[in-house]
Amino acid sequence: MNTEPPAPSEPPVSEPPVFSVRELWKVFGPKAGRVPSDPALAALGPAELRERTGCTAAVREVSFDVRRGEVFVVMGLSGSGKSTLVRCLTRLIEPTSGAIAIDGEDVLSMDAARLRRLRRHRAAMVFQHFGLLPHRSVLDNVAYGLEIQGVPRAERRARAAEFVAKVGLEGMEHRRPAQLSGGQQQRVGLARALAVDPEVLLFDEPFSALDPLIRRDMQEEVVRLHGEEGRTMVFITHDLGEALKLGDRIALMRDGRIVQLGTPEEIVGAPADDYVRDFVRDVPREQVMTVRSAMRPATAAETDHGPALAPGATVHEAIEAVVRSGGTARVVEHGRCLGVVGHADLLGVVAGLAPREEAA
Amino acid sequence: MSTTVTEAGAPPARLPLSDVLARHRTALIGGLALVALLLGALLLGGGAWPARFSVDLSGPLGDASDWIIDNRDSHPLFLYFFGHVSNAVVLSVRAVYLVLLAAGWAGVTAGAGLVAWRLAGLRPALTAVAAFGVCGLLGMWVPTMQTLALMVVAVAASVLLGLVLGLAAGLSDRVHRALRPVLDTMQVLPAFAYLLPVVLVFGIGVPAAVLATVVYAAPPMARLTALGLRGADAGVLEAAASLGATGRQRLLTARLPLARKELLLGVNQSIMMALSMAVIASVIGAGGLGDRVYQALASVDVGAALAAGVPVVLLAVVLDRVTAAAGARIGAAPARGTGLGWAAAAAGTVAAALVGRSAGRLSWPDAWTVDVAAFVNRAVDWMTAHLYSGVPVIGGTADWAARFTTWVLDPVRDGLRWLPWWTVLLLVAVLALLVGTWRTAATAVLAMVAIGVLGVWDPALDTLSQVLAAVAVTLVAGVATGVAAGRSSRLERLLRPVLDVFQTMPQFVYLIPVVALFGVGRAPAVAAAVVYALPAVVRITTQGMRAVDPVVMESSRSLGATARQQLWRVQLPLARPALLLAVNQGVVLVLAVVIIGGLVGGGALGYEVVFGLAQGDLATGLVAGAAIVCLGLMLDRVTQPAGKEHHDA
Repeated sequence: MNTEPPAPSEPPVSEPPVFSVRELWKVFGPKAGRVPSDPALAALGPAELRERTGCTAAVREVSFDVRRGEVFVVMGLSGSGKSTLVRCLTRLIEPTSGAIAIDGEDVLSMDAARLRRLRRHRAAMVFQHFGLLPHRSVLDNVAYGLEIQGVPRAERRARAAEFVAKVGLEGMEHRRPAQLSGGQQQRVGLARALAVDPEVLLFDEPFSALDPLIRRDMQEEVVRLHGEEGRTMVFITHDLGEALKLGDRIALMRDGRIVQLGTPEEIVGAPADDYVRDFVRDVPREQVMTVRSAMRPATAAETDHGPALAPGATVHEAIEAVVRSGGTARVVEHGRCLGVVGHADLLGVVAGLAPREEAA
Repeated sequence: MSTTVTEAGAPPARLPLSDVLARHRTALIGGLALVALLLGALLLGGGAWPARFSVDLSGPLGDASDWIIDNRDSHPLFLYFFGHVSNAVVLSVRAVYLVLLAAGWAGVTAGAGLVAWRLAGLRPALTAVAAFGVCGLLGMWVPTMQTLALMVVAVAASVLLGLVLGLAAGLSDRVHRALRPVLDTMQVLPAFAYLLPVVLVFGIGVPAAVLATVVYAAPPMARLTALGLRGADAGVLEAAASLGATGRQRLLTARLPLARKELLLGVNQSIMMALSMAVIASVIGAGGLGDRVYQALASVDVGAALAAGVPVVLLAVVLDRVTAAAGARIGAAPARGTGLGWAAAAAGTVAAALVGRSAGRLSWPDAWTVDVAAFVNRAVDWMTAHLYSGVPVIGGTADWAARFTTWVLDPVRDGLRWLPWWTVLLLVAVLALLVGTWRTAATAVLAMVAIGVLGVWDPALDTLSQVLAAVAVTLVAGVATGVAAGRSSRLERLLRPVLDVFQTMPQFVYLIPVVALFGVGRAPAVAAAVVYALPAVVRITTQGMRAVDPVVMESSRSLGATARQQLWRVQLPLARPALLLAVNQGVVLVLAVVIIGGLVGGGALGYEVVFGLAQGDLATGLVAGAAIVCLGLMLDRVTQPAGKEHHDA
């Protein structure tokens, strides 16, 4: 968890969001357009909607902003509409209604040429099943995006070779995708997306098809890349652990709607409803919750004693410090003591007791 | 049976009425048939197709053919369209033929070997060289080159045509919907049905032969191209789109390369179909090897037929091996040093041709030929004398043929003819309904009605009786072998090379050995059909048995099922789709050869086509050809299971 970039809880207001999505709908089925515009139909549940209209609403009235440099995770079970949502961002699936803007520019009104430019230069996607060309070598697969842009052969191969190395596949440039393991294939997919130097990377459940150990490697790879480049990422997953590990903010989807949007700590610490609560029940809370939410105001005696912790430190780290010192630990930010945590406070978090009012 | 049929036939219906209909389908069909039977007996009586329901087309068709013959040299349609097509075909075949002759036997053999080496590796290359050598040895060099020249032009044209059609069908849903039934139907029609229409337009000769071949060989290329384009991994296409590829970029960089396996298979199938047809088209003036076989069969000269038939088989094996191996190769690994290798191959070919030329040996030296015909004919004479009849206990081959004719073919044919005409229609309808859907049944019955209307009810029933007998034998032998091979890997390994060779051979050559063994008549035609259809039936059955989910097999074993119980309760029911496909393919293949059997005394529709061609009586031939189309349609639809996807045999 140490590698996790510091999560800014207050967004820098000046910078416009990379993606701004407002009241987005995607309805599949006959005459899909009438569903979002008709409040009576829009209010129906999935089963009723199908019964009445034969339509399925994959994305329902979704709004969110993706801030520059953050990892925005969309998380939900299969059928929750998350993969449809990410495809709507670059109109691989045409949204039914709503608004999408990239850097303030309206995506839905783009003509074919501008949309192609968007896909070529600004947003690149990594797919669950890789989508590699089986008849091409690793190098040519990585260079594929550049080839589509019309970059000359020698130049695109040179650039591709760089990214092959960057994802740790040196020496495999001339293999075919079929000769690689799943993890290696996804590294190729990742390199292909990186090679076009996009403003934002879109990941559609990229590691779901991989073995657990390789999945962990790849997650760390993404964390590393994000740490190095600070590129904006939209990451789709059905794996809560992955979402908590990678996400600066998480949008939790159910039946096409976002049921909660917040930092991992907010999702785990303050579930919006029973569905989310049920979802996060088994999460090791001490790994996610920070001492900021566990601390209580310090008494005068406590302000000077005990080890110092950053407010972003996890409860897990705090437990270690508290056990070593035998007393309380101080939560210090910019040299100011915000509060203290003791045994009882930390245990309260682990036990999942409601956060204490005074801890705000 | 009844429950499975219901499951297969019933759509997930919501309406209770259709639900009820689906559940009691078999009973319903039976009841309706009974009612129809009673009504028919009361109102229609017995007998063959009544003359008052048939239309004599020989007048108008004869007029049409006369008109075409009269106007072939003057009408603008012929002058400016068919004339050009015909000239282009003649010119290109001649050009290829001249190139082959100019290269000489040394050049052609070396070229074939080197091309095979580049495309497929050393073994196919050696096979190719040996095959061409044998063609020369048999004294068949010139006919082989004639056939090859015709093949080159026909294959090039059909691959191109198939590619264009396949691209259209692969990229446009509407074209696909329109084209698919046509291609499906063309696939099941016997080769003979294609001959008459092209002869009507182009007259007998090379253009007609080439065009019949193209029409016959293009559908598999079109189907497989469309299949490959449609089957392209959606994930890869989406990835291409996500990177901002234009439609053209997606087609060229993703769709077509992803379909290359199907494309190569399409080329392979087109070549095999073209060879098959190029040989049969000797009937309409193709010349070459097929013509030698045809002439020899006409005079029952088995030796000469064999001498021309062996090169056909060798050509088939070489072409199949080389294209199949090339397909597997291109699919597997990246090409290395391509340019250099091809340059070496070209240089080698030219060198060999020049050496042959300077040695003054352009045509195959006569001294190097072996006259197998005389030898084979002596062997056949000996067989005729000793094996034909009167062999103690088992009897001779001619005796078998005679007995098969008297005890099987005659009763089936007479039985069919004895049946009142409307009961035949009823039978077709009931069968088609039991296996397929209302639509397939309607098509089947309409096809049968068309046969009656065309006035060829009797010969059609004769052909049908031969088909039924051949199919019965094929299925019994084929399914039994297939089940055995499906359960024993060793048997499958033994059978595989045999099936491979048999499945590559053109239909025509099957007639040669049966004539040697059984003489002429209906029994040899049936025997050839059985031998031709058997490999496909065995193969499909074996694959069906092997495709049964091993988990299901394991679970039935864990429940203590005996091998017999496993076979009857698990494997055969689960292999049902494959078995139905085997029946369908068996019927289609049998029909194709039974029709060609008209050349060796099979009589019936096939003979009428041959007769029409030989006598220039195109009207008779055309009517018979149309009846063949109808019979093919009917047989295919009757055996077509509901909701099946058309697999490529």
